[in-house]
Amino acid sequence: MRSIWAVATNTLKQALRMKIAVVFVVLLLVLLPAMAISMVGDGTLKGRMQTFISYGLSLTSFLLCLLTILASTYSLTSEFEQKQIYTVLTKPVRRFELLLGKVLGVILLDIGLLGLFSALIYGITIYTPRFVKAGEAELLQVQNEFFTARAGLIPAKADVGDEVEKTYERLERTGQLPPGVTDSKIGRENYKNALASQIELGKRAAAPGHELVWEFNNVKPIDPNESLFVRFKYDVSMNPPDLHVYGKWLVGDIRQAGSRVGTPVYPFERRDLIRTFYEIEVPADAVAEDGYLAVGFFNDPRFNNTVVIFPLEDGLEVLYKADSFTANFFRGVLLVFFRLVLLACLGIFASSFLSMPVAILLCLIVFFTGTISGFIIESFDYLSKNASSLCSYTIGPIIRLLPQFDKFNPTKFLLGGRLLSWSVVAKVAGLMIFVKSAILLLLALVIFSYREIARITV
Amino acid sequence: MEYAIETFSLTKVFSDFWGRQKVYAVDNLNLKINYNEVFGLLGPNGSGKTTTLKVLLGLLYPTKGKSIVLGGDSSDPKINARIGFLPEESYLYKYLNARETLDFYGRLFGLGAKVRKMRIEALLDMVGLRAVANRPVGTFSKGMARRIGLAQALINDPDLLILDEPTTGLDPIGTRQIKDLILQLAKRGKTVLLCSHLLADVEDVCDRIAILYGGKIQAKGKVKELLQQTNKRQITTGSISDRSVERIKQIVENEQAECTVTSPMDRLETFFIKTVVAAQQQAQATSGAVSTTKIGDFLTSGPRAGSILDKLVSAPVSRQGSSDKPATTEEVSPVETGESEPDRQLLSKLTEPAEPVPPEGVVKPEPVETETSQQEAEKSILEQLTERHTSTDRDENQGDSHKGDAGDA
Ligand SMILES: Nc1ncnc2c1ncn2[C@@H]1O[C@H](COP(=O)(O)OP(=O)(O)OP(=O)(O)O)[C@@H](O)[C@H]1O
Ligand SMILES: [Mg+2]
Repeated sequence: MRSIWAVATNTLKQALRMKIAVVFVVLLLVLLPAMAISMVGDGTLKGRMQTFISYGLSLTSFLLCLLTILASTYSLTSEFEQKQIYTVLTKPVRRFELLLGKVLGVILLDIGLLGLFSALIYGITIYTPRFVKAGEAELLQVQNEFFTARAGLIPAKADVGDEVEKTYERLERTGQLPPGVTDSKIGRENYKNALASQIELGKRAAAPGHELVWEFNNVKPIDPNESLFVRFKYDVSMNPPDLHVYGKWLVGDIRQAGSRVGTPVYPFERRDLIRTFYEIEVPADAVAEDGYLAVGFFNDPRFNNTVVIFPLEDGLEVLYKADSFTANFFRGVLLVFFRLVLLACLGIFASSFLSMPVAILLCLIVFFTGTISGFIIESFDYLSKNASSLCSYTIGPIIRLLPQFDKFNPTKFLLGGRLLSWSVVAKVAGLMIFVKSAILLLLALVIFSYREIARITV
Repeated sequence: MEYAIETFSLTKVFSDFWGRQKVYAVDNLNLKINYNEVFGLLGPNGSGKTTTLKVLLGLLYPTKGKSIVLGGDSSDPKINARIGFLPEESYLYKYLNARETLDFYGRLFGLGAKVRKMRIEALLDMVGLRAVANRPVGTFSKGMARRIGLAQALINDPDLLILDEPTTGLDPIGTRQIKDLILQLAKRGKTVLLCSHLLADVEDVCDRIAILYGGKIQAKGKVKELLQQTNKRQITTGSISDRSVERIKQIVENEQAECTVTSPMDRLETFFIKTVVAAQQQAQATSGAVSTTKIGDFLTSGPRAGSILDKLVSAPVSRQGSSDKPATTEEVSPVETGESEPDRQLLSKLTEPAEPVPPEGVVKPEPVETETSQQEAEKSILEQLTERHTSTDRDENQGDSHKGDAGDA
């Protein structure tokens, strides 16, 4: 144990004194404040904050990722190149202790630097509203939509299975199915899927004079005095001339209709641009004691003469403050940290059998594929639909073992003030640290413990 | 557990990636090194000395055969904890300073903070680098780095010391000091395995040697036995009159034996040490190593010697310099810490007449290869130069010769 610690502190000293870290530190210390001053986003205070936090955090994460790759590969490959490892491994140090020490050293470096820079970003973010001249409304907006950690509830997906089957049978009976559909199983499935989304969309569309009601359970705002928000986006079947939709909204516990006691039900009438996100602020006391909340929309036929549709994924959402910005930010930083741990293990793994340039190359390749893993997985899934099962059982898991940095990107959450829950963090930790990092480290240990240390390959 | 190191037909073959180009770096090596023995592994460049050590230490895996070190496997931390190893070059972390370097290695041995600190200071004193202990070792000269490398190998007070060409890059005083140290350790019951092709060094300290060539042992045995010329005798006397010399010659010639009479010279080593000590006495500045012949306290204390008194009394002893003339000058080392004993030792050596040098050209164990003899040739050239130098300039030189060579930096 003591030798692990000795190796770790030595690795830390190396990264600091060999000026590997210094370049990155200086870069960030210059860039972050510069970004805070120069980035204005869309001109609003909220836009400005969003731009800063997303670019600031992404840049920090990116540079620290590179630093981690460099520091971890350098610290192990230089041992071989400069042969200090001869003097280390002839001491009572087991090989796994050397490796763990290296990983620990790089992680310590990451903790230090990530702590420093996330504190800087946090400080700048918190203090920006005080230095920027902004109106009351803008400040309020930032407070409600940015400095918060809001949980979002989307309406439960309607179960349309039966309806799809019925419609399909009807179409089949009446011979209205398009040609070719009944030929193959895949054809049938595809057609049914299309039918399903069509029916689902139908359930989220209101013709003029019609209404839609969504019901939510488990709405748990941390403070009933705060607001909750109905976030929505209109789509239309036919563009209205002024591109606006006039909507009547009702938010509250509609089960108690008529009775006077109980929670308030809030009505709203508004006119909004189509295909644009809006948020209706509703006092949180609209939520019933059991966490029930209903949201109703009425397509007012006096002003609209088009069908109003709420798109499937993001057409409607109820947001409420579930945690503080600070806690959310901290969890976001944790996601970045997991990423760095994974890269540290990757770097050590690569340098357990490769020389410096090759190890770095391998790490960079994995890193960049990791940042577009969503795209890779999707395209693989698409391609493998028709490929042999052998292919999808071998390459598939390997592709899924790649780090998925884009999927667990903290800025996604922080930008919209979205709650990044502990359960998500735990899930990511489990996957990135306890599965992927552990596998890498284990492989590295096995390779390293069989490696002939003084063997020189040219 | 009879032997400190034992190898059983140890073989190491290097082949390239495709398994071609075989190099038999070590070939069927059977070594048996006793406990408490100073064993020298000699051989020309590329004869497999370093490879042997690496296999012994587990840095390379043998192609065939096996080795037992201190009765066990050298990959066992318990065994490693009792070994000190100085590699061919001092591979150090450039960005650490001397003290941090030793601290790092001390930690690897799991030494407690107190012991570590005590030993580090003692070792820094011993290798004369205390004054530069806060400089990164990357800025050190070769010899200074070597000294740190040596200190690193000693920090655990090892039972078995494995030294790969310990004296390369060291100045003569450092070399001398290492030799003294080795003898000192041997006296305390430690085992030393050392590789070198500096024959003079090996000759001075080793009990037994083996000469490697092409990975095979060509000759081995006790140094004294290998080198003794049974048909020659050497007589060294104090100052005697020419008449007496004539009489002795007469007696020798009566026995039909040849006889040459010369005045013994200082060895260049002795002369060098004198010069440097003189410079140090004048406290000339150096940014290099400060030469002392001090040996770390914890290294000289006998296995039973627990008390401070014991430690103070036990002074480094060299086999040759046994006469203890009283010290004639005051302390010389600028980094003195109050242990006067070792320095007096140094001075007594310096003031002593040169030790008898074994006649040149004697190192001729039977099947020795060409490179060895070449080295001998070089050595004798050096010796000739030395003789001329010392015989003509010695007297005037004393005064001003210490200008240039104040340190090794
Ligand atoms: N990693 C290696 N790969 C291939 N050949 C090697 C390797 N290490 C050593 N050798 C070869 O093994 C032989 C012995 O080398 P070794 O380093 O043991 O010599 P040495 O006796 O220590 O020489 P020197 O006096 O120069 O230090 C040489 O021919 C060398 O080229
Ligand atoms: Mg060698």
